Amino acid sequence: MSDVILRSENLCKRFGITTAVNDVSLEFEKGEIHGLIGENGSGKSTFCSTLCGIYPVTSGRFLLEEKELRARSQVEANRRGVSIIVQEMGTLPGLTVAENIFLGEEDKFMRGIVKNTGAMNREAQRLLDGYGFKRIIASKMIDNYSFEDRKLIEIVKATYFNPKILVVDETTTALSRSGREELFKVMDRIKSGGNTVIFISHDLDEVIDHTDRISVLRDGGLVDTVKSSEASAGELKLLMVGRELTNRYYRTDYDQSVSDEVVLAVDNVSVPGEMQNVSFRLHKGEILGIGGLSECGMHETGKAIFGASYGRSGSVTLKGGYSVKSIPGAIRHGVAYASKDRDNESVIVADSIRDNICLPSLDDMSKHALLNNRKLDGFARKNAELMSVKMTGIDQYVSALSGGNKQKVVISRWLGKDSDILVLDSPTRGIDVKVKADIYALMSELKERGKSIIMISEELQELLGMSDRILIMKDGRINGEFMRNRNLGERDLITKMV
Amino acid sequence: MEKQGATAAIARQKANTYLRGLMPLFGFMGIIIIFSILTRGKIVTPENLSLMLSQVYVLMISSMGVFMIMTVGALDFSQGSIIGLASIIFCWVSNYSIVLGVVAGMLAGAAMGAFNGFFHVKFKIASFIVTICTMYFFRGLCKYITTNGPVPAITNVLALNETWLKLLLTGIMLFLGFMVWHFTRLGCDLRAIGAGETAARFSGSRPDLLKFLVFMASGAITGFACFINVIKVGSITGTAGSQLETQILIALVLGGMPISGGAKARFSNIIIGTLTYCVLDMCLPMVFPVPATQQLVKGIVFLIVVALTIDHESLRVIK
Repeated sequence: MSDVILRSENLCKRFGITTAVNDVSLEFEKGEIHGLIGENGSGKSTFCSTLCGIYPVTSGRFLLEEKELRARSQVEANRRGVSIIVQEMGTLPGLTVAENIFLGEEDKFMRGIVKNTGAMNREAQRLLDGYGFKRIIASKMIDNYSFEDRKLIEIVKATYFNPKILVVDETTTALSRSGREELFKVMDRIKSGGNTVIFISHDLDEVIDHTDRISVLRDGGLVDTVKSSEASAGELKLLMVGRELTNRYYRTDYDQSVSDEVVLAVDNVSVPGEMQNVSFRLHKGEILGIGGLSECGMHETGKAIFGASYGRSGSVTLKGGYSVKSIPGAIRHGVAYASKDRDNESVIVADSIRDNICLPSLDDMSKHALLNNRKLDGFARKNAELMSVKMTGIDQYVSALSGGNKQKVVISRWLGKDSDILVLDSPTRGIDVKVKADIYALMSELKERGKSIIMISEELQELLGMSDRILIMKDGRINGEFMRNRNLGERDLITKMV
Repeated sequence: MEKQGATAAIARQKANTYLRGLMPLFGFMGIIIIFSILTRGKIVTPENLSLMLSQVYVLMISSMGVFMIMTVGALDFSQGSIIGLASIIFCWVSNYSIVLGVVAGMLAGAAMGAFNGFFHVKFKIASFIVTICTMYFFRGLCKYITTNGPVPAITNVLALNETWLKLLLTGIMLFLGFMVWHFTRLGCDLRAIGAGETAARFSGSRPDLLKFLVFMASGAITGFACFINVIKVGSITGTAGSQLETQILIALVLGGMPISGGAKARFSNIIIGTLTYCVLDMCLPMVFPVPATQQLVKGIVFLIVVALTIDHESLRVIK
């Protein structure tokens, strides 16, 4: 059984001054699903990117079936039988589904110099049907499909040619429960075909459930490889972080410590096509969780509270009677918002950490409309250090930071603003265990200081672990409400979600 | 040990970034040195310096407006036509009062800028398309008004053509611009919008409003510059101010302004850029006396200078 299909020998990858992958030697066997875990920036994605020809290696090499593999592009890697499904969007807009699936392989459908589009569409549709994605039409533009469907199309694109090695890089965060099941089915099929899957995820339970062996990376180096059947999430965390994590991961209190004081009233809020007649109250010092399937309208709810929805009706009223109608108005009256789409709607990636942190607070810091730049620098530095953002300085551009650090910048800007209501949409999406723990600890601390938090999340464990109250949404409406309770389980929430 | 290495590397990177920021300044000094040698020092004579200065004022003032427009990631090709039309308005009103004329010129410029901004923001048309259209539109108005001959200003405006006054006005405008850019939230907002409009909106900036205002302000600033334009010549023809838009854009790029705008825009881009442009513009005829070859050489020289001094890093930041 233990036939090695792929091996890396002393692999190193440097980006300028940073060493992302440091001397990693790993073996992958035929017919196994191999988990790869580690904190943000531990080098898992970089390792796989060099395998798939996205980056060149600095030193060391990959051996695929004992022959050296040095792909210079993803297409070349594909030809050798290595394919990847990435974390962010890997499909190209403006092309049809079929064109996306066969990108780089158009030659197959050429009759002389004319492309046989019909044959391409038929072939693509046959593949889609074979995967059970009948509702996706091959000849349609990919832009017609949701984020989740596009991920499914990517899965087809990456696996239809029976790759010897499939890399699944943090794909599950973009998928709903049913989408994940589809992905796991595909992974199992590849495994039973005698091929190998490399599976990267932050969700440790998911990794333990769906892999045969797990390798742990820390700071670019390989820490250990363990059998999944013998691993526990606790041990893996320890390996990833290299030190004992505090027990305080989620909240441990269950003594309903919420005041009756209403700080935010949402009444009959509707956004065409997104949500209908949503009403609820948020109290002082409350952590209100909102959950559901990803298209249930909960993400739009967050935007609506922040004044960022187009065509909203109904009212969002704050404690003092102020009615939120625009983003600047919401910010001025103490509402903060961290979007699920971190790179486009939360941080300005092509700008400095300093500007990102100061932007919402500029009016507070100006005197007769004039700003003091030294004060701005101090403000940015203080809040960035408060959240221990890993940076070379406040002049550094946010684009250079990892996902977890970007989220820290987002949070530090709102801490600096001293907002009373924080709307956090998927606050720990794609973030490693340690930063996650930091964020949960911060939420508890803010709650104790009397701040109110709305946490919108697709992670049921997170909702159960952190919320004083949970609202479950379905098809744009609130479909269930649960109070914090030790006996509440995922099953209870799911029945209201689907 | 490794930590020390990393700190040193970070320091080196910082120094690199800093040096790259100084490239336009080196370019400017290099050009002065090269042309001093080529013309055997003739460019530093008092006559030539005052000739060069006489070109700087209008370009530098109107570049300030376009600087803000470029910071938010937009472009403006209608500046030459705006100054032409605003100058005509100034000439008319100057017959009643010169001060009123300046105000009227600024209002006219603001109105034309607002026109640009309205179409760009409201109908979401790319700014370069809107302003290319209005370039023809405003120029057409200029030509129509001047069909029967140039529009004269009141004759005593020529008496105001004093170097100290022009220097003073340019200095005041630069000072005001610098203060607004560095010490109000406008600079921060504009850079953020240029770097990432959606994220800026979610951070509390108002991209649509600010874009509109920036176009309007740019028109008003150029409207102010028309005063200096008129006191030099006394009357306005149909082609007055043409090519100003390209001069501004080239000057800003020479000054290190990132074409896509965003966080790397620096106020010094305006000053170094316009000075570099004016030196080049003045020196080339001295070295290449045949007018036919001047444009050709100008094009090549600009291309070389931009290629050498441009900050590739800032172009790489994808919005």
